[in-house]
Amino acid sequence: MITRLLSAALVAGFLASVVATGLQLALTSPLILQAETYEGEGTHALAPALDASSAVRLASLIVPAHAHSHAPGEGGHDHGTAEEWQPAPGLQRIAFTGLATLIGGVGYALLLAAVMLALRREPTPRSGLAIGIAGFLAVALAPAIGLPPELPGMGGAPLLLRQSWWLMTVIATGLGLYLIAVRRVPLTILGGLVLIVAPHLAGAPQVAEAASQVPPALAAQFAARSLAIGFVFWALIGLAYGWAWGLFGREADARSHA
Amino acid sequence: MTTATLQTSATTTRSAEGARALLVAAFLGLGLVFVVGFAPATVLHNAAHDFRHAQNFPCH
Repeated sequence: MITRLLSAALVAGFLASVVATGLQLALTSPLILQAETYEGEGTHALAPALDASSAVRLASLIVPAHAHSHAPGEGGHDHGTAEEWQPAPGLQRIAFTGLATLIGGVGYALLLAAVMLALRREPTPRSGLAIGIAGFLAVALAPAIGLPPELPGMGGAPLLLRQSWWLMTVIATGLGLYLIAVRRVPLTILGGLVLIVAPHLAGAPQVAEAASQVPPALAAQFAARSLAIGFVFWALIGLAYGWAWGLFGREADARSHA
Repeated sequence: MTTATLQTSATTTRSAEGARALLVAAFLGLGLVFVVGFAPATVLHNAAHDFRHAQNFPCH
């Protein structure tokens, strides 16, 4: 069973990440590159005081990479300094984006597999798609309501706060969807709605005045494209996982009957 | 009903195996998503940079 699950998750993650990588390279990567031309020009020059104070406050909390990237006078962005490795522009950067998408896709597929197992749903393309869409709602759409997909150079609240809110929202929305769609009793539906709404009532960490040179049209386009890619990514992971689960099941049956 | 009675004999071993598979999948999945989406190491951040932005992981 473990072998079947891991095989199916690998296949699903691979297939979905191939499509998602293509979509990212065609739709979001050009916008990221375009936004990076604005980065360092004005963003951090406009708000050195903000950066300095947040760096002091968070120096002990936050990871070294981000603590020193916020130091005033420096390039500003994480990959501004020379000694930090970063993929070379062009082919290498494309390759690493693809690799990251593959690892993320397999990770999501494994989590989807774990959820389906916990819910005792026999994976089929149909049931996989349903869980995949739930995954999109919980992991992509719900956090995006409070923290819209951002281009580089759009300063936000401290990273650790945003990551915590992101994680809490994902967990609360996932639990809420489970209570509503699986339990389906008035009391749990009510509880599920409360769980889904609560993170947004609490509010995502925001900066009062985020100075950014990135054109609003670019940012809006990026947010919409990012969510669209997320939907395709999750739907394909679910569909492909259900399909691959059936595929490896038939193979296992054939072996055991031979 | 018939399938349910047929399955009962194998239920105990299957549920133990299912629990193990569940743990393995959840642990591996969380690990991979953490590495690619949250890991603070600069090298990992830079390598996965465009993916993190496109998939809306909070990023610098």
